[in-house]
Amino acid sequence: MPRLSTLAVLLATLAAWHLASASGWVSPFLLPSPRTVFETLIDLSVSGVLAKHVLVSLRRVVSGYLLAIALAVPVAVLFSLSRPLRSMVEPLLEFLRQIPPLAMMPLLILWLGIGEAQKVGIIVLSCFFPIFLGVRGGIAAVDRKLIDVGTVYGFSRTEIMLRIVLPSALPSIVVGLRIGLGYSWRALVGAELIASSAGLGYMIVDAENLARTDIVLAGILVIGLLGLVSDHLLRALIRRKVRWLAEDLEMARA
Amino acid sequence: MLEARHLGKSYRLGEADVVALADVSLAFPRGSITTVVGRSGCGKTTLLRILAGLERPTSGALVRGEAGAGRTGVVFQEARLMPWLDALGNVAFGLRRRLPAALAEERSRAALDMVGLAAFADAMPGQLSGGMAQRVAIARALVTEPDLLLLDEPFAALDAFTRRAMQGELVAIWQAKRPTIVFVTHDVEEAVLLGQHVLELERGRVVGFEPVDLPFPRDPTDAAVNGHRRRILAKLTAPPPPHAAGGPAVSSASPADKETAP
Repeated sequence: MPRLSTLAVLLATLAAWHLASASGWVSPFLLPSPRTVFETLIDLSVSGVLAKHVLVSLRRVVSGYLLAIALAVPVAVLFSLSRPLRSMVEPLLEFLRQIPPLAMMPLLILWLGIGEAQKVGIIVLSCFFPIFLGVRGGIAAVDRKLIDVGTVYGFSRTEIMLRIVLPSALPSIVVGLRIGLGYSWRALVGAELIASSAGLGYMIVDAENLARTDIVLAGILVIGLLGLVSDHLLRALIRRKVRWLAEDLEMARA
Repeated sequence: MLEARHLGKSYRLGEADVVALADVSLAFPRGSITTVVGRSGCGKTTLLRILAGLERPTSGALVRGEAGAGRTGVVFQEARLMPWLDALGNVAFGLRRRLPAALAEERSRAALDMVGLAAFADAMPGQLSGGMAQRVAIARALVTEPDLLLLDEPFAALDAFTRRAMQGELVAIWQAKRPTIVFVTHDVEEAVLLGQHVLELERGRVVGFEPVDLPFPRDPTDAAVNGHRRRILAKLTAPPPPHAAGGPAVSSASPADKETAP
């Protein structure tokens, strides 16, 4: 439950927004009042336009995010297991990590077109590294003393990986997963702004071209809300599945 | 019967050879308690880690009689519990793969009961005190019914009262189950209270072996106990004989000892 002070800050922001446009201090065209935006939001919901764009964006995020997990986790585990592989490939990955995914957009458009593959591609690019680094870091930081316990019981390498290393890397993996989810939203909207025919990012640019700042703001609000909701859902899932992690969840909000 | 034959372990640290253990030979009779005592860096942890199979000796060999290797349980200085498992899960940790789940749980509950923690089966490691966590670690080592139980300063991090209680519990468990126990400590009193034989190590070498033929449980204020303590302390604090006075490389702690040194 949000606390009273949290609620007060939200209300104050809303009030300042309202005053800024109601007093004529900012032109209502540049900053439509909260009420206008709210009404626009209702209109968009009733007409089904919003739902259509939200669904398109959601589908892209979910598929890109899952694909990134499916790639990043095994690669990170492989890297942790093999020192030669690490020293050979990690410098290249470090280089790639420095490139903002949006800078890859022109190439991705040429390679994958402007369809779904390109959107999913940009999401995978943007959330691969947080997840990869979370898994790598978690595995690298495993307490050798816990591994001793497994060795005493005669565990095989696989058993040590599955029963000791991965569980103890989980807090760091979870942080990577949460940061990755945040990144994937950002990258998606960026991709939809540049080249798209549906999705929340597209809805915003389209509204900008029609000079509908109220729709732009409504879209921004929805994007923020969806990000919050998805992070909450992920946390709730983790809290239910991995109870011992509950207190670690509050760190690393992304 | 477990026998160490001329066990030696040395590490290469830069230019110097660090000798952690030099030519230790000793038999551990079946069902006996042997304590190993010495100051930090004397090689006692290295000896235990070799006995546990966590490290290989660089010379000598370990002979484990009676139809091959039996089960080994190890208790470390820290509890080393898996933070994602509750107390019961930690005790069952080494059992699951050889037993059906129901039987594993039954055995684990019995082991927790033996260390007096039956009511804390659901507690997570973070919720346990140091003494309780160490009890869980002991239960985890006991649940496989080991015929060799190795303990590396298991009570060193506990307060004096808890330590005394745990020493009593260990003796009771030993009397009930009769595993072969090797117990490493830097506390001479503890070594005398628990050991049927006390092995004294100094700079990786055996400097004394003292049988302590007193009934259990032993009283730390008992005159005979104190006699043993005095003799062992005298040996461990005596200046080293000239031939054993190695350079600084020899006297420095081995990597394995540094890991658990306070």
